[in-house]
Amino acid sequence: MSSTLLPEERALDAHVRTNSSKSKRYGFFPGCVAKESCKELFNSTLLLADKLGIELVELTAASCCGASVLNDTNRDVARVLNARTYAQAEALGLDDVITICSTCTGHMRAANKELRESEEHMAQANAILGKFGANYKGSVTVRHLLWLLIDDIGLDALRAMVVRPLNGLKVAPFYGCHIIRPESVNGWESARHPHSLEDVIVALGGEAVDYAGKTRCCGFHVQLEKDGIASSMVGQNMRMAKDNGAEAVITPCPLCHLALDGYQADAAARWGRTDLPIFHLPQLVAYALGVPAEKLGLNKHLIDPREVMVSRDLIN
Amino acid sequence: MAKIKLDIFRFDEATDTVPHRDEVTVDLPETTTVLDALEHAKAEVDGSISFRRSCRSAICGSCSMSIGGVTSLACKTSCGSAMEEDGSVKIDPMPNFQPMKDLVVHMDPFWDKYARLKPYLQPKDADSAHATERRVSPDDMKKLVDVANCIMCATCYSLCPVVSVDPAFAGPAAIAYAYRFIEDVRDGKRPERLAQISEDYLWLCAHCYACSYCPKHVDPNDRIVDVKRAAITDRVMMNERGPRHALVVARTIKQTGMLAETEVIQGTVGRFNIRGLLKVAPLGARMALKGKLPPPFLKPVPKVDEIRTIFDALEAPVR
Repeated sequence: MSSTLLPEERALDAHVRTNSSKSKRYGFFPGCVAKESCKELFNSTLLLADKLGIELVELTAASCCGASVLNDTNRDVARVLNARTYAQAEALGLDDVITICSTCTGHMRAANKELRESEEHMAQANAILGKFGANYKGSVTVRHLLWLLIDDIGLDALRAMVVRPLNGLKVAPFYGCHIIRPESVNGWESARHPHSLEDVIVALGGEAVDYAGKTRCCGFHVQLEKDGIASSMVGQNMRMAKDNGAEAVITPCPLCHLALDGYQADAAARWGRTDLPIFHLPQLVAYALGVPAEKLGLNKHLIDPREVMVSRDLIN
Repeated sequence: MAKIKLDIFRFDEATDTVPHRDEVTVDLPETTTVLDALEHAKAEVDGSISFRRSCRSAICGSCSMSIGGVTSLACKTSCGSAMEEDGSVKIDPMPNFQPMKDLVVHMDPFWDKYARLKPYLQPKDADSAHATERRVSPDDMKKLVDVANCIMCATCYSLCPVVSVDPAFAGPAAIAYAYRFIEDVRDGKRPERLAQISEDYLWLCAHCYACSYCPKHVDPNDRIVDVKRAAITDRVMMNERGPRHALVVARTIKQTGMLAETEVIQGTVGRFNIRGLLKVAPLGARMALKGKLPPPFLKPVPKVDEIRTIFDALEAPVR
């Protein structure tokens, strides 16, 4: 084992959720926001993993992915930080690193692509990782939990696992830019016309709402740069979702969640009230698979999703 | 051959107050480009359909329009690739622009933002100081070639979500074109150019990569990041929120391994900027009521010294 392993990583029990000794093990990179202001995302992901019968091995010593901002000051740091994360996964014998954030997905995949496609970048990273006894061979694949649901679990199997269908709840998908763009980095599905979230919504017994805003930007990354900019972007997109009949929104990205959940109130003056509750992807899937609603942290949302769930007889 | 239903936005600013849509059916193979299908419709069915075009081969940048909800060059997009389930192809003028007639839009805001760049070489010294032409090494030129491929079709500008809510933003094409001169070794106006593009809201780019749909692979998204880095290296408008945000994010990751949300908000807005902090306070209060505030201080991740080693190995000495 490499020296990058921590004692707590060697004793995996604390971080592994097991249903069966044969279940598939994945490296798990929760990202900063799921550990800070969106803890309900982190918790519901672990509860969902239990239901799916997969092991998520959290990479506890991993750093931030760079969050699309680190490149603004230095184009090498984020790549090497991510190489360190991948070296930790490799040392644990894990080739799959699963993310629960669109921005982590895009930026970790971009770093991995640069490392795997350029000997120069790989050599630069390993020269630095070598200073603390780590090494990245290039075997890791970064994927979002959404892709795992469809590729590894499968929509048919997912449908079969549903014990509490969504009763036709009209859910608008909101992808979050970095899980689809740029296509050269992600490419798992069409960036212009993605449908994975719609497929999941339908598999859970909901109705997917189509609207032009689903692949657009939530404004999170410029929320502090100029007052009102993110709330305008949120208002514009949520208005479209609401006008197309949405009762709720689902997103695979906690940054989108923070913006959409947080700024609809501010956007109301210009775009009218929308008040759409925003579900994290694992919350809604876990609910349909039978995790008790009170365990999903729905009370942490600024726009409480429980009202719409009551109206659809999903909870009392 | 297939029946292709062209579902076209129709509007004439000279006579109409509201737009309407016309459906024109053409009998053409699905591999036909949208531009050829429009030409066919105009020649055979309705001569009044208006759209811009010239070269028909993705060189002139005239025929950018919204096809199936995404801005693309009509000459580079096949009808089959943009077809809805009912066999129709939805064609609209570029978003983020004022429609003039049908698919033709007023391009002025886009050109104005180009013009502000002074998009021509402004050399360091007079031509008379040079006995020969000004030489550029192949490596220096390589940096500029991709951006020089820009055909000013405005696809990126029309897809930009920041332009759609704040027309003051320079937009992706103009920032990429600023890069073309900022990084040109012959140019003498780098400081002025960086200051001007920073004032035109360089830092308002939302990192959304919508401009990665560029039909010429200019990838303005990556050039915007390059211009931001140049602005920080040259210390341009360092007290604005954009550069402060970039620096505080890097600092918190180096200190804790994580992006420390609380410190990033304070560092970006300004710890002593009471008015600014009051503006973010209502959202903070709403989050606090839900027990959702990020922690004020973060415990560093295990082995954070490794993370600091990475920063120390790669960071240029602070100027």
